[in-house]
Amino acid sequence: MTLEARIALILGLLALATAVGLIWRARSGLAKKLTNGQIIDLAEIGATKNGRPVKEFGEKVTFLQFSSEFCTACRQTSKLYSELEQVHPEILHIEVDITNRIDLANKFNILQTPTTLVLDSRGRVTSRIGGAVKPETIQHEIGSFEI
Amino acid sequence: MSTTTIKSPAGIDPRGPRFGATITSVLLLITVFLALDAATLGAAFGLLVFITASFAIGAFLGNSKHPYGLIFKKLVRPRLAAPKELEDPRPPQFAQLIGLIVAGVGVVLYVVGIQGGLVFAAAAAFIAAFLNAAFAFCLGCQIYVGLQRIGLIKRH
Repeated sequence: MTLEARIALILGLLALATAVGLIWRARSGLAKKLTNGQIIDLAEIGATKNGRPVKEFGEKVTFLQFSSEFCTACRQTSKLYSELEQVHPEILHIEVDITNRIDLANKFNILQTPTTLVLDSRGRVTSRIGGAVKPETIQHEIGSFEI
Repeated sequence: MSTTTIKSPAGIDPRGPRFGATITSVLLLITVFLALDAATLGAAFGLLVFITASFAIGAFLGNSKHPYGLIFKKLVRPRLAAPKELEDPRPPQFAQLIGLIVAGVGVVLYVVGIQGGLVFAAAAAFIAAFLNAAFAFCLGCQIYVGLQRIGLIKRH
């Protein structure tokens, strides 16, 4: 292969990788509205908080975050929700580690972690956020629950 | 029914794995370049063997034993400000395992005579390493659950 062709292919590979990165960054953390959202069964998903089972949803909104063991973005997302929860008592954040719960990954069709399900006060899924969340996305989601 | 709580081992500087991914992506790009010409294909194979070995060290011994991890610790980190936060060392270690598998497939294909496989494996590994270095996107970590669901990873 000529030197020019090799350089062109290398530049093409760099462009492809950059395009993948930019598309991923633009799509990651966006909230997708769900209209036929299912009702979450807290006992079924084994939701715990500070070592105790969670029995009630947040007064206004619940962020149900699915995480896994090998996931740096999950920690960042978890931190964001925790900070929010401390300022707004009407918001509940639940984190469920699905590393050993493939049944849940199948049921909610989770392909990446973190994946967040946004629930209303009755536990109905209203939207879904794939990937690391952005603060502005969460603010927008909370805003949509304003009465 | 219970969920496993996430136990966090001692944190590492998140810039360490990204520094390593930067070196790895440059080396993989050179590998692809060399593999595209028959005259330098042997050199590409040698380089990919080296990269595969470094992935193996990272995957089985951890980032602290990794040659790039050591370079970062000895030469780079002392010149940087303290990190804002530390990260769990397990996700980047899992990413090294994914890299080992992809690069290892390229090495094996070359050895059994499918020389074209080397270019594709090196290119795939380059994309993953580049996403990590340039976008802080850990492909292996992100798709871990997906791999488990299709049965590629089994947990006991």
